[in-house]
Amino acid sequence: MKEFIKKISGVRWVSSLLFLIALFVITGIVNPTFFSYSNIIACFNNSCVFMLLAIGISFTIMTGEIDVSIGAVMGLTAAISGVIAQQNGSWLPMLGWAVLVGAVTGLVNGIGVAVLKVPSLIFTLGTCGVVRGIVYIYTGGRTIENFSGSFTRFGNSTVGNTGIGVFFLMMIVIVAVLAVLLNTRRGKYFLAVGDNIGGAVLVGIPATRVKFFAYILSGIFAGISGIVFASKYGQITIIAGNGYEMSAVAACVLGGISLSGGLGNVIGAAIGGVIMSSISRLLVFLGFSSDYDNTITGVMLIAIVVIDALTQQRAIENARRERLLARAAVSGQ
Amino acid sequence: MHSDGKQKLLVVKGTTKAFGQNRVLKGVDIAVDRGEVLALIGGNGAGKSTLMKIIMGIYQPDGGQIFIDGKEVQMTNPAVALAEGVYMVPQEPMLFPNMNVLENITMGFKESTLSLRNRLVKIMSEIGWKMDLSRKASTLSIAEQTLVEILRGLLRNSKILILDEPTSALTFDEVEAFFKVVRDLKSRGIGIIYITHRLAEVFDIATHVAIMRDGQITLEGPVANFTREMLVQGLLPPDATHEAELKENTTKIDYTHLKPIFELQNLSGYGFQDISLKVYPGEILGIAGVVGAGRTELVSTIFGRDKVLSGKVILDGKDITGKKTRDILEAGIDYVPEDRHLHGLFKISSVAANTTSALLKDSVMGKLLLNKRQENRITDKYISDFRIKTMDREELAGSLSGGNQQKVVISRALSTKPKLVIMDEPTRGIDAAARGDVYSIIHHLREDGVAVLLVSSDMEEIMELCDRTVTVFQGHINGEFSGNEINQDNLTAASFGLVNNE
Amino acid sequence: MKNKMLKIVKSWEFVLLLILVLEFVVFGSINDKFLQPVRIFSNITNYISICIISLFVTMVMITGGIDIQASSIVGLTSITIGVLWNDFGFSIWAAVGAAILLAALCGALSGFFVAYCGVQPMVVTLGGSFLYSGLGLVISRMSAIPAYQGISGFPSKNEDGTFSSFRWLGNAKLFGDLKLPVQIVIYVILIILMYILLHKTKYGRSIFLVGVNPQAAEYSGINTKLVKMSTYMLTGIGAAIAGILLTSQLNSSKYDLGSTYTLSIITAVVLGGTLSTGGKGSIIGTALASLVICMLRFGLTLCFKMSSQNLDLPVGIMLLLVVSGRQLLRIVRHMDA
Repeated sequence: MKEFIKKISGVRWVSSLLFLIALFVITGIVNPTFFSYSNIIACFNNSCVFMLLAIGISFTIMTGEIDVSIGAVMGLTAAISGVIAQQNGSWLPMLGWAVLVGAVTGLVNGIGVAVLKVPSLIFTLGTCGVVRGIVYIYTGGRTIENFSGSFTRFGNSTVGNTGIGVFFLMMIVIVAVLAVLLNTRRGKYFLAVGDNIGGAVLVGIPATRVKFFAYILSGIFAGISGIVFASKYGQITIIAGNGYEMSAVAACVLGGISLSGGLGNVIGAAIGGVIMSSISRLLVFLGFSSDYDNTITGVMLIAIVVIDALTQQRAIENARRERLLARAAVSGQ
Repeated sequence: MHSDGKQKLLVVKGTTKAFGQNRVLKGVDIAVDRGEVLALIGGNGAGKSTLMKIIMGIYQPDGGQIFIDGKEVQMTNPAVALAEGVYMVPQEPMLFPNMNVLENITMGFKESTLSLRNRLVKIMSEIGWKMDLSRKASTLSIAEQTLVEILRGLLRNSKILILDEPTSALTFDEVEAFFKVVRDLKSRGIGIIYITHRLAEVFDIATHVAIMRDGQITLEGPVANFTREMLVQGLLPPDATHEAELKENTTKIDYTHLKPIFELQNLSGYGFQDISLKVYPGEILGIAGVVGAGRTELVSTIFGRDKVLSGKVILDGKDITGKKTRDILEAGIDYVPEDRHLHGLFKISSVAANTTSALLKDSVMGKLLLNKRQENRITDKYISDFRIKTMDREELAGSLSGGNQQKVVISRALSTKPKLVIMDEPTRGIDAAARGDVYSIIHHLREDGVAVLLVSSDMEEIMELCDRTVTVFQGHINGEFSGNEINQDNLTAASFGLVNNE
Repeated sequence: MKNKMLKIVKSWEFVLLLILVLEFVVFGSINDKFLQPVRIFSNITNYISICIISLFVTMVMITGGIDIQASSIVGLTSITIGVLWNDFGFSIWAAVGAAILLAALCGALSGFFVAYCGVQPMVVTLGGSFLYSGLGLVISRMSAIPAYQGISGFPSKNEDGTFSSFRWLGNAKLFGDLKLPVQIVIYVILIILMYILLHKTKYGRSIFLVGVNPQAAEYSGINTKLVKMSTYMLTGIGAAIAGILLTSQLNSSKYDLGSTYTLSIITAVVLGGTLSTGGKGSIIGTALASLVICMLRFGLTLCFKMSSQNLDLPVGIMLLLVVSGRQLLRIVRHMDA
């Protein structure tokens, strides 16, 4: 049991989960009305867009890269889904388009980052601009709204009387499946490439292909998040998804995924997504206006990464010093 | 490829490789058979690492063939080499720091984790290693990391192991344990290519030896056929004669009226303990010892790179213990670091920017605006004084040859006009001509009354240059020698801890 | 001398200059309105925040860092000026001074975490972008005027129709018929100052050395941490200057001004030839690159009637082409060698 606790507390997403629970508890203590089933479940139901984005981008972050084009991809697929919904179309073409758009963007990013070896922030910045432009051309600059009722109703529907949103349920399934898949040896390739790309190549891991795959996954998840976005909000402006990439990165950091790669887990990304999307709701219950949303997020983000960096550096430094001391002490008579 | 009627395990024939104009390999042949340990020795830049990377499929050769068990193989990428049973333990272990030992070893396999784990446990018990498989790689010592790398190779049923300077980061005890492993592997019929800089290891562990110089094998055969002196001769370039002449011109120092310019009093820090020594103006004090004895830790702590635990550092009567690097520079100490690439050189900056980088605080270089004229003057002076081969002072330092890069780093250190210069392995990995130039720079410093602290693993260098020498063994000074006492026997014995004068 | 000429011709700055000239030739021949100074000027002033901030971010990137928070400091500066002036009774210049100070502090704070705590600059400035834009919103709530409206009515026109003090910065035009906006004059002065700072001073040299090899810089006695931190602080000040000009020009103080600039700023710096891994870059390159982007946007709207909202597309394509092309060239060259 002790062994188990020691092992589990070393897992980074567990500390993120504890952090999330702590946030809930603190909010509940300050304002007991928060402690209702519907409030808490709403936090989760509303987090699907962020969760999808964070999970997608976590693949690229795990390999040590970044993908800032996801917000734009989400905007584009949201617009496409919206247009299909206006014509009372079905889910299937939406999904098809979402996957297609995401995969193509991911492919382009993969070529730039994995093959041409352009720094990922810069290359995906470029694709971000291009996709944003396509959004504008596609929508003609108009806001897309007035969807068929069934589409928006579905986005906000729940499973039976449980209050659990349909999308959230899907998210749980997706996260569970991914967590299992990523724990296989091939699944660990993402982390291996981010941890030490030279070493990965040396043991025969196809690093270029892994990065390619990460970008395609990142794109596809962003694409799917667009459908959820459209269904949930029922209205898509041309700037929909602007800046969401930054929130997704923040979610990953909050979920314990290291931006230098090689460390993290999709479960962490999902929890980070919940934290990011819940902050404004929690603030309301805490009696703050949601104006403090960004301030709190910023403080939280900086505090977490600074503490993380300092503890890691200290651990490395201590190990080094201990070793040197031991070396000199051998003949210490 | 038939030798003695049977096929050798690995044969490399006529391998050539050039990077641009630079011909790194000029037709290299080597061969290893089962149960053999081929020690490959040679200076930095001789082409050893390039050759290994070609065998491992990381580089593609321009010409030549590779045979394994008599069959020609095209090593197009590392995966092919792995499949052919070749595994390289790189000089710096390439582990995944955030993964545990088991994941590190099994990464890249197709087999199921369970059967891998079983095989691994079996191998480990066979060779008698104990290691916690759930430890994170970032907590392993360098020696343990090397062992993990070897386990990776063994689990792949590798027939050929390439060990690239595996002992360079190990402590003395770890080296002993490691040799046991290598002997064991040898007895199991594995062919090993063992790259090293240390001649002693050749006689300890190798069955065959090959010396590589300037992209060619200059000498090879069973170890029994050679003596230490023959290997040293084989390593020396044909024109290495002028070095010996220098020593004769130097005068002996009369210590009677001198006051030390620099003094350490019972200095302790991370990696060394209780070090006391004095250096006099115009004196070259050697610090000998093996790599890992704590010499670099000592000098970099003096230079303000790490914490002093106790004791005192005194320069010219002033206590400078525990000061920051920039204050120590100002006080009058400068340092030529051991690792030129990591700590010395600004590769994508010009020679001029490199030379004057330590002078930026000095008013010589202008108050606020950079005094370009001074910069050019200082740079040109060092380029001509030290015979730095460069197109002009604006050429990028990274495009110079190793020896000239080192001269630039030395220029930087001397530009601050220090009272004491610490040189840490100043001639490692540079060619003979540049080495001669560096030696004459050091001699000139001595004549100008500058004190020099020379850290070197090269005994001949110490003998050649130093007025006095201390030896460091496992973080302690265990011997001091001057004049005729500075000889190969004394230094080697003391470096390996074999002294009786305490 | 001949060598020097060759070096200039081969430089990336020269390529950017050619592209700029090409833009003038192409767009100018399609529509001669493109060549009217008044239009060029007004177009540059619309883009001036990005032009200015990218000069500063160039320095950050040369040290091997990145700054994605500068755009949020633009809005923070703007709203600080407005609230201090409107609700706290500061004189307009005192408010401006206080805002610059605040921006410098914000930059220095992030710089401190990057330099002294060793946190990745990307994450710190991401956190900073949330924090400072959030702070802007919080400050805007201190005002009696609702945030979405923005604070306006800054000291405006004198009786003779000229702009007075604060509004003069963002609106006045100089040199009679040339009608050169003050903003552009300020930009040019900033280019010169930054050029001298980065390429001609000892401080600038240490910025480069820190970017090329921070360890070696430490061994050379350079205070690498202070140098790194200072670049973030300067960028904060740069963002404040942009915020002041924008507030003055629009006669409106809002917390979300500039919030969408990040991508354009990074694009300009990278296009200007600054290495994102640090150690290489130039102020002239960045300045030329921002003008190239600026003129491209102008030309496309003027000559091809593209909507000004849709200019991410060509800028994105240009960025992709340039970075991919440069990388391809390097790969090909590597193969040759």
